[in-house]
Amino acid sequence: MISAPGPLHALDGGPLPVDPLLKALRKAFTVQANPAQAVRRQRLDTFDHLLARVGMTLEQLTTPRRGTRLLLRRVGAPDLATTVDGQRWPAMADALPAGALRDAVAPIIGIRALVQQGDERRTIRRIDLRNGDGKVVARIALDEPVSASRSRGGAPTVSVLPLRGYDADARKALAIGERVGLIDETTATDADADASAPAPKPAPPHRDDPAAALLAQALQGFSAAMADNLPGLIDDIDTEFLHDLRVAVRRSRSTLKLGRPALPDTFATRWEPAFKWIGDLTTPVRDLDVYQLDLPTMAGWLVAATPADLQPFAEHLARRRTTARRTLLRGLRGTRYRTLVAEWDHDLAALAALAAAPTEDGPTAGALADTAVSRSYRRVARGGAAIDVDSPPEDLHTLRKRCKELRYALEVFAPVLDAAKRKQAVADLKGLQDVLGRFQDSEVQRLALRDFAAEMMADGTSPAAVLAMGELIAHLEAEQARARRDFEAAFATFARPASAERMLHLGGRP
Amino acid sequence: MRVYATYNIKGGVGKTSTAVNLAYLSAREGRRTLLWDLDPQAAATFLFRVRPRVKGGGHGLVSRKRPVEDALKATDFDNLDLLPADFSYRNMDLDLDDTKKRTTRLGQLLDTVADDYDVAVLDCPPSISLVSENVMHAADVLLVPLIPATLSLRTFNQLTRFVGESEGHRPEIVAFFSIADRRKRLHRDVIAALPRDGARVADTVVPSLSLIERMAEHRAPVPAFAPSSPAARIYESLWAEVRPS
Repeated sequence: MISAPGPLHALDGGPLPVDPLLKALRKAFTVQANPAQAVRRQRLDTFDHLLARVGMTLEQLTTPRRGTRLLLRRVGAPDLATTVDGQRWPAMADALPAGALRDAVAPIIGIRALVQQGDERRTIRRIDLRNGDGKVVARIALDEPVSASRSRGGAPTVSVLPLRGYDADARKALAIGERVGLIDETTATDADADASAPAPKPAPPHRDDPAAALLAQALQGFSAAMADNLPGLIDDIDTEFLHDLRVAVRRSRSTLKLGRPALPDTFATRWEPAFKWIGDLTTPVRDLDVYQLDLPTMAGWLVAATPADLQPFAEHLARRRTTARRTLLRGLRGTRYRTLVAEWDHDLAALAALAAAPTEDGPTAGALADTAVSRSYRRVARGGAAIDVDSPPEDLHTLRKRCKELRYALEVFAPVLDAAKRKQAVADLKGLQDVLGRFQDSEVQRLALRDFAAEMMADGTSPAAVLAMGELIAHLEAEQARARRDFEAAFATFARPASAERMLHLGGRP
Repeated sequence: MRVYATYNIKGGVGKTSTAVNLAYLSAREGRRTLLWDLDPQAAATFLFRVRPRVKGGGHGLVSRKRPVEDALKATDFDNLDLLPADFSYRNMDLDLDDTKKRTTRLGQLLDTVADDYDVAVLDCPPSISLVSENVMHAADVLLVPLIPATLSLRTFNQLTRFVGESEGHRPEIVAFFSIADRRKRLHRDVIAALPRDGARVADTVVPSLSLIERMAEHRAPVPAFAPSSPAARIYESLWAEVRPS
């Protein structure tokens, strides 16, 4: 079956040429126009557009006659629809009615919530195109805004809806639409574009540009990510808002550190501690989020105990998280955070302006990238080589942090590094990071579980819960030991001559 | 994918009406539904205004020279597709006999589209044949319409014995009375006398109603052209008894 073609627009985004279209269609089909329906169309996706990225469109459609239903459109696959009753958004995938639509959406969005990305009131007229047997062989949907205002997103459209087994008829209807002057959205002229179109991305920095320009651009991107994720974090829509904000904070911290040779001194003296404070402020809730998200997996580790035995632990986590979130929100809504954000944006704008002015001062982006990557690499190589069977867990933790720094260097300086070599370098590093991550996460979780168990016992929890947590600790110890055994091979792969050679010549030097 | 089949050795007992109406109701509830018209008479295909033609015919499908996907047709109703009948299906027994998996091939063909559908409804021709043996292997639920007459009961007993004695997969059998007329004493007596021990018998009784016969005139399922009619309510009631939980 052919994929549903994109909607067609009038050339100038104005009214649809409905009469000429129907007249032309009547020459090829028996045309049956159905009554117009008022539709409220709420577009749903995750905050980071996970559905759109895989070519899916999820809409909640409410009509007086058919009630409320969800419609999922997919590229190269039939649409899926289901009725839904009184669902409020944001909501997680498990709020969708059980069935094919949920089965299609849930693996894509994972732990992200569906949020409303658009809300329009439209008038839809569906037109059935029938063949000589009276069979519907294609449908046309005339989709017009209820209000007179017609921004590009809300412009009236005509969609040809193909039916399985009748591709030729859909193609015929599409060709007729184009003959009466309708155009595919993808071929719309620049004149149709309006101010709502996203601003073009700034040009990527060149190796000879000042390093400060690259750093300002990267830091401004992280600052924007923090601002974008803050409302969802405050409203607790899903756990990824906090996670993504923390990633932006960590990247900012690494960029500040890697960029010291090219940044004003205040960036080190003021902003490095400031971002550490933000990181520390957000850590407790994130840690508790991780435990809550991992609970179903942890339940699968149990041998003697049952998943139900972990219920008191789940409740303890929920209580702790409520308290931790209160502290976090106080911090994020407080004067210190708001002042930091405002002044950070101001300093970044000043840095960008300074970098744009022609000057001979400071390193170039390429030179700083080469230095930062090679220095970070050497720190990892040295740290890894020093680890032996007697090394304490802290040494592996330090190495993990150095690996993260190298990873961030590869990301921040990506615009001025050789793309293919950088990709391979990230792959080389990833194996080592995975092993260190397993080791360190097991270590931290194991110790935290002991603390949680002690707190719960003080609160008079059931012995079954503590015994179940003991099983989790034993599992984590075994996992940590496995990761420790895997370290040597992972590090040897990372430190092999070919990998080292690639890592030290990412900038294109011979 | 849950597979239903409407089956009876006898013709004219309401298999096609049941298949068409239940498939429509399944789709109306949002389930992606496939109706496979296996009867070369192509009555279900006619009711959906689809031309009774499959490229390559039954042989093309059974021999797997033509993928099932290529033969599918959307009906006029959301979520409901049809695999049309073709007059060549009259030779399907011979085509099946030529294959290695002669009793499971139709199930294998359904498996190729199982990801696309939640429910499949097979409308079977009236016979005991290789086709019906395939259907019994493929179906999860065998819906058996029975006219309340003594001979119908005898036929039903033959069927339950046949399924009970067959090897491998056995579908759940759900019988229901069809074309029943409660004004007739014989019908009342037979409905009361049917032994409930061998198979499940649905509570819903589908009476003889002119509206059901008028499906051929409207060329649509009853709940589509007469949604508030008693006939529509009866099929809704029957579907409620057998639909996937």
